[in-house]
Amino acid sequence: MDLSFYTQEVAPALLRGLWVSLGLILPSAVFGLAIGVLAGTLRIYGRPLWKRVAEIYGLLFRGFPLLVQLYLWYFGLPQLGIYLSPYAAAVIGFSLCSGAYHAEYIRGALRSIKQGQLQAARALGFSRTRAVVSILLPQAIRRALPGCGNELIYLIKYSSLAYMVTCIELTGEAKILASLFFKYLEVFFVVGAVYLALVSLASWGLRRLEDIVSIPGFEYVRR
Amino acid sequence: MSRPEPILRLENIHKSYTGQEVLKGVSLELHRGDIKVIIGPSGSGKSTLLHCINFLVTFEQGRVWLHEQEIDPADKPRLHAYRQKVGMIFQDFNLFDHLTALDNVQIGLVRVKKIPKRQARERALSELARVGLSDHVFKYPAELSGGQKQRVSIARALAMDPEVMLLDEPTSALDPELIGEVHAVIRNLAAGGMTMALVTHEIGFASGLAKEILFMENGLILEQGTPAAILNNATLDRTREFCAKIARLHTGGREPA
Amino acid sequence: MGRGIQSGWEAIAEGLPYILGGIGVTLTVVGGALAMGLALGLFLSVAQVYGRPWLQRVVGVYVWFFRGIPLLVLLFLIYFGILAALEIDLSPFTIAIVVLGLISSAYQSQVLRGAILSVPEGQMKAARAIGMSDARAIAFIILPQALRLALPGWSNEYTVIMKDSAVTYALGVAELMARTNHTASRTYQHFWLYLLVGFIYMLLTWLGTKALHILEERVAISGYTR
Repeated sequence: MDLSFYTQEVAPALLRGLWVSLGLILPSAVFGLAIGVLAGTLRIYGRPLWKRVAEIYGLLFRGFPLLVQLYLWYFGLPQLGIYLSPYAAAVIGFSLCSGAYHAEYIRGALRSIKQGQLQAARALGFSRTRAVVSILLPQAIRRALPGCGNELIYLIKYSSLAYMVTCIELTGEAKILASLFFKYLEVFFVVGAVYLALVSLASWGLRRLEDIVSIPGFEYVRR
Repeated sequence: MSRPEPILRLENIHKSYTGQEVLKGVSLELHRGDIKVIIGPSGSGKSTLLHCINFLVTFEQGRVWLHEQEIDPADKPRLHAYRQKVGMIFQDFNLFDHLTALDNVQIGLVRVKKIPKRQARERALSELARVGLSDHVFKYPAELSGGQKQRVSIARALAMDPEVMLLDEPTSALDPELIGEVHAVIRNLAAGGMTMALVTHEIGFASGLAKEILFMENGLILEQGTPAAILNNATLDRTREFCAKIARLHTGGREPA
Repeated sequence: MGRGIQSGWEAIAEGLPYILGGIGVTLTVVGGALAMGLALGLFLSVAQVYGRPWLQRVVGVYVWFFRGIPLLVLLFLIYFGILAALEIDLSPFTIAIVVLGLISSAYQSQVLRGAILSVPEGQMKAARAIGMSDARAIAFIILPQALRLALPGWSNEYTVIMKDSAVTYALGVAELMARTNHTASRTYQHFWLYLLVGFIYMLLTWLGTKALHILEERVAISGYTR
């Protein structure tokens, strides 16, 4: 066990990679959630055209494997004359794919809110848009929290696929390092541990968040 | 004149659920052909007592004997053999929902007694005929009425050749019209000499069937005696009070026979 | 328009049989992983529900690990790391099934655990009352019901594994994704080919889900709802 190997070679490389990973995960999480809220809301309250668009978006981006989507952005678009950097392709790919799943959770949450809420808001003089945004969405987001939170955890894991479109994040650095020094077992052991730590941290944070925003009598039974 | 040994004997059963003592030292004997009916208010421990007899519930203190051989729940093979001899009928029937009536009766024969399928099937069919359900053998529990379900559960227990039957409020979950068919089956069993311990609220049925009635309250058997003695002439005030209450409820005010 | 020698459509048409041949490989990988996930998942869920506390903890750690580690990392770790260290020689194809199977078993064990817990307590009581040992009761009374309850969740597991199977391309398994890549680098029709394979995955997912629905209906017991 050569400790200097770890401190001099592995640690810097993996830290570099971790930094890139976080730079992928955080923007993708934010964009993905935003897109998901928009698409999910359109599915329920949008005008017929937008409803359809959101539906097709959901079907395609949940139906295509994430890897295929990433390849389309990075390797496919150049054929049409559009050249994206590995990082851009990855973030766009993660955001749009993640967004489709978030949309499903938001849609489910909105559907579960009683009709009376919207009617009451309209009766008070809210326009439909304002009612949806100010009254319904805050409730829906609470209900969708377990599902959306789960999707964010998936994002942490699937960010490793960025390596496949040559965006060198944590997994990419690990692969390079491992093949360079032929120490696959050690390096990937550490990388695995880092991902597990990130996922566990996120899970814990999610549970805390669920506890904080819970309103008595508001939960519905989930397995 | 000495009586033969009891088939089933319980001594000093104590059972607590998280700090609350539910059975406070209950003892019981069942001789061949005995029909003992246990009555008492809710929470008196009647149901728990029955569950202790076949060790579906573990108790802290007390012993159980079958034919004067003590049953040790840690000895699994003997425990399983013992449970075959002590049939139990539940208030909620607890039929195996994924199996037809026939399979419900058959499965114990095939999987526990290891009887060959053909023989098991014949036996199962005859037990179901005995309870009057020959026309319903291929139905699933969800397709049966409550009374039919309970009769299947009786057939299922009888298929194991029990020496004693424990019935835990067998008709409490049934619609009134369906109670009669189950009572009829139970009466037949009794007439055939089956040894039984029955927990019920149906005082009219109990008094007609029982050789002895036991009144339980707060985890203890307070009084026991013949139906006439308990229902008409109870020693304790508490017993009289309770019997009067349920008599009004179940017999429209008439005095039990 | 590509820089390739052939025109776009010709290139695609030529490469199509090769790509479609990957469907068999993909389905085998997915099927194998699901089966392994079920077998292991059954064992794990029974251990978690009926086992001693120490066993429950072990299963808990197993589930935490296989649900937390990224698929790609695990593939590399096992194929390049563990196998090389132990000097075992297994094909990427086998490893793909094993790794997907291990991860699936972690998810399936939780679905099955939920299903087992939702079988009413009375079923176990009645099984014991007629003298069944716990093992027999679990095998003949609890699991047949739990599996039926878990079936809807299997649809979801199938779609996830179907999409995850594309990642096994990283190990060189000659499934759909790998073959598409190969064809694309030959013909430079990346965009259209990836679009096509995306739809193929969608079709396979849809067909599989339909098949599982039919299975669900076949094994349903009339009137049985929980």
